[in-house]
Amino acid sequence: MSLKVVPQAIEIRNNKIEFDNLLFFIVDSNSSVKIEPLIGYDAIIIDSKDAEFAKLILKKIRGHYNPEFYLKPVFLINYKESKDPILHSLNDGFIHSYDQLKEIADVAKQIFLKTTQLDYQLVATFEAQMMKKVLNFMFTRDLKTLKPIPDLNSVIGYTYPAISVNFDSSEETQVLEILEWGEREGLVWPDFHERIYLCNQCSGGFLSYREVCPHCNSSNSSAQDLVHHFPCAYIGPLSDFQNNVDNALTCPKCNKALRHIGVDYDKPSIIHHCNNCDKNFQDFFVKAKCISCTQDVEVQYLIPKAINVYKLTKRGRTAASNGFLSTGKEVEDIFGTLTMAVFKTMLHYEIERIKENPEQQKSSIVIVNIENIFELYKKVGKKAEKTILESIVNLIRENVRPTDFIAFENSSTMYLGLINSDALQSEATLENLKTLIEKLIKNNFNDFSANINFKVKLLQPFNKSEFQLQELTKDLFD
Amino acid sequence: MRFLDEFINYVSSVDAAKLFRMFWFFFIFEFFRFFLVEISTIIFWKFDSIFRKKGIADARLTLMKSQPLVSIIVPGRNEGKHIFKLVNSLKEQTYQNFELIVIDDGSDDDTPIICRNLEHLGMISAFYRNDVRGGKASAANLGLRYARGEFVIHFDADCSYDRDAIENILVPFYYNPKIGAVGGNVQVRNYKDSLCATLQALEYMDTISIGRITTSELGIYRVISGAFGAFRKEALDRLGGWDIGPGLDGDITVKIRKLGYIIHFEPTAVCQTSVPVTFKKLIRQRLRWDKSLIRFRLRKHRDVFYPNDSFKFSNFISFVENVTYNLILNVKWFFYLADMVFNFASQLIFIIPMNICLYTVNNFMKFLVFSPFRDRKNEGITYFLIYLPLMVFYFGYFLRIVRTTAYIQEIFFKASYKDNWNPAKSSRQAKIMKI
Repeated sequence: MSLKVVPQAIEIRNNKIEFDNLLFFIVDSNSSVKIEPLIGYDAIIIDSKDAEFAKLILKKIRGHYNPEFYLKPVFLINYKESKDPILHSLNDGFIHSYDQLKEIADVAKQIFLKTTQLDYQLVATFEAQMMKKVLNFMFTRDLKTLKPIPDLNSVIGYTYPAISVNFDSSEETQVLEILEWGEREGLVWPDFHERIYLCNQCSGGFLSYREVCPHCNSSNSSAQDLVHHFPCAYIGPLSDFQNNVDNALTCPKCNKALRHIGVDYDKPSIIHHCNNCDKNFQDFFVKAKCISCTQDVEVQYLIPKAINVYKLTKRGRTAASNGFLSTGKEVEDIFGTLTMAVFKTMLHYEIERIKENPEQQKSSIVIVNIENIFELYKKVGKKAEKTILESIVNLIRENVRPTDFIAFENSSTMYLGLINSDALQSEATLENLKTLIEKLIKNNFNDFSANINFKVKLLQPFNKSEFQLQELTKDLFD
Repeated sequence: MRFLDEFINYVSSVDAAKLFRMFWFFFIFEFFRFFLVEISTIIFWKFDSIFRKKGIADARLTLMKSQPLVSIIVPGRNEGKHIFKLVNSLKEQTYQNFELIVIDDGSDDDTPIICRNLEHLGMISAFYRNDVRGGKASAANLGLRYARGEFVIHFDADCSYDRDAIENILVPFYYNPKIGAVGGNVQVRNYKDSLCATLQALEYMDTISIGRITTSELGIYRVISGAFGAFRKEALDRLGGWDIGPGLDGDITVKIRKLGYIIHFEPTAVCQTSVPVTFKKLIRQRLRWDKSLIRFRLRKHRDVFYPNDSFKFSNFISFVENVTYNLILNVKWFFYLADMVFNFASQLIFIIPMNICLYTVNNFMKFLVFSPFRDRKNEGITYFLIYLPLMVFYFGYFLRIVRTTAYIQEIFFKASYKDNWNPAKSSRQAKIMKI
């Protein structure tokens, strides 16, 4: 058990400290690596002397999708000597002893204050969601730039800690895609730092560049000067002119000794001999062997990527607190769904229809939210996101009537308009759909369980469609 | 009209003895060698080919069954623009077991880019480049050094080849194992480009197509053209390849003859080349070619004339014929001219037109008589007829003067060593070593 230097006035009980109206939890080497129990604490202090352990806990906290985790103030004690830049990027401060609790309490309060100014509106796409998370983190910490850090554990060789914590090291290219998206949306501004080349198979950045034989791709070759003997016009590799006895060079054609380069002989070029296929060549291929997947790639087919230092733009700075609109085009063109604007118009017509006979005609509106779907997107990548949503829509379409209509609010939330279906019938339909969607995801992504929430509301004939949708959303998220 | 009447009267007054006295040069040397000898040899060759037919068919069968690897080497400088066309035309060849080796002798244009690209695409087996120019011989030798074939065929990049050219040039090696090298039949592709090119086409038909069938049959064939020649690799390896030019084609042929191999001309192995289209360029080319007679026949390989251990009668005759008809008679023609000027001064006004008429009649006769023996004889025959009268001026005067100039330059000034066709560094060494 480690000895903790604690001032007398501060009492640690079960790894908890109450100080300045804040409840701190001390994570030490005996603590569990599970972070969910930490939700009730205002701030965390990591005190284990093991930098890797500290980094693991920090990554878990900052990588969580819930703002209550990823925005939580985390401090390190006794780690100042650590030079790990990732560790430095993810914590909120270092202290040497618990005497300095006052300092970190002030920092934590400052973070809380900023946190209250944040906008928590859901955004349309996975990229937007990830970008929002980074912007929230940067806003609460007053960070102005996202700097790339060379990292041997990252598959591309660089990491942006604040955003990379959301991904495995093998998924680092997704980080670049999200940052590029942020750049296109005007949230961040790139300042060129370095160019990297990635494997076109696995996006790995660790490549071994080799000169290889153009015939068999072997790097097992040797090079020799070509020697041209002027008097007899013989030309061949240097070894043709060498002997085993001395260093003299003798022409194999005319048996004359080579005397003076430039006068009676010269070396007009170089020739390579492949020891694997026994062929000769002058122009070798340069190939890059990916250390990750062992694929041998011709350099012109490598994927060039710019590694930038990203600075927050004015839009980026205000986006965290005011929210931002994203085009969300990815979720708008899914077959079998309507855009939100069309959905609202259709809802308006349906309200007008049921107004004529409110007692007989009952229709419902439903909101469905897959709470942790972004975790899944993180794992499977951007390309699979649309496929997942299309599969879900197909599944819903098979289990609702053709007259019912669907629209995505964003890639985790959708609305359904169920025509001629009262609240009870709709509840039953939704329970069935929830089971089917959970099963669909479970069957396709073995280790993933979707948390699906839904709310059903009977369509009111005398309320506006906009208002009814707001009510429904509020009911679900409150 | 008056002159014409006088000329006709003069011609009708000339009897056979006087005609021979006035045109002895023509009857003794040219008519004998370039008509009588050639026509009798050609007739014999045609007759003999009936008996050779089966042997050639068997040789062709053996070749196609054994499929030896053939190395085609294409040395050149700034020839990149021709290579793609050459590569494509080679796809059409009936014989396909070849490797194509292109050697770039220090090009300063896009040749390396083009050829590297073709190499990467697998359209060229190997591309070797000397960053520093070394001369055509060294480029050919670099190709030879890395050639893996049993036979080596030397190509020029700007030539094109009949689709059975490679097959046909290889067959003689299987017909007669003593054959060490085979020359292809080089024809003029651009004969319609200019008068100069047309006259050269007529010259090639005569001296190459017919002339080389004759020399080959007589065993005195002496120059395998660099544009299209096939060699046993073993023979080239024994010689260490080509020596410094200009005139390296004739030189390598002599060296292979000296090894005891037979040199064969194959008229059915047809290659088409582009010849100079201006007289200025033609003069430059011929000066270079003609200088090599002095440098290689009279200097480097003069041992052929000596009765030593390596003496071979066929080589001796080949050289004597070459030197006699190109050098000695060239000089003698000027004696003949002097003879006419001094002894027939008053009649020169009639003798010169008679001379022209005589040669023109001879040219027409040769052209028509030899036409049936030419490969692809129907091509361009009528086109050439109207140009035949000009051949007397082209061949009898123009080329003779160029040849004489070349001999004087080489005999007295060793001008071939100053020719920038070869890099100065190589020529300097060749001159020191007297080769």
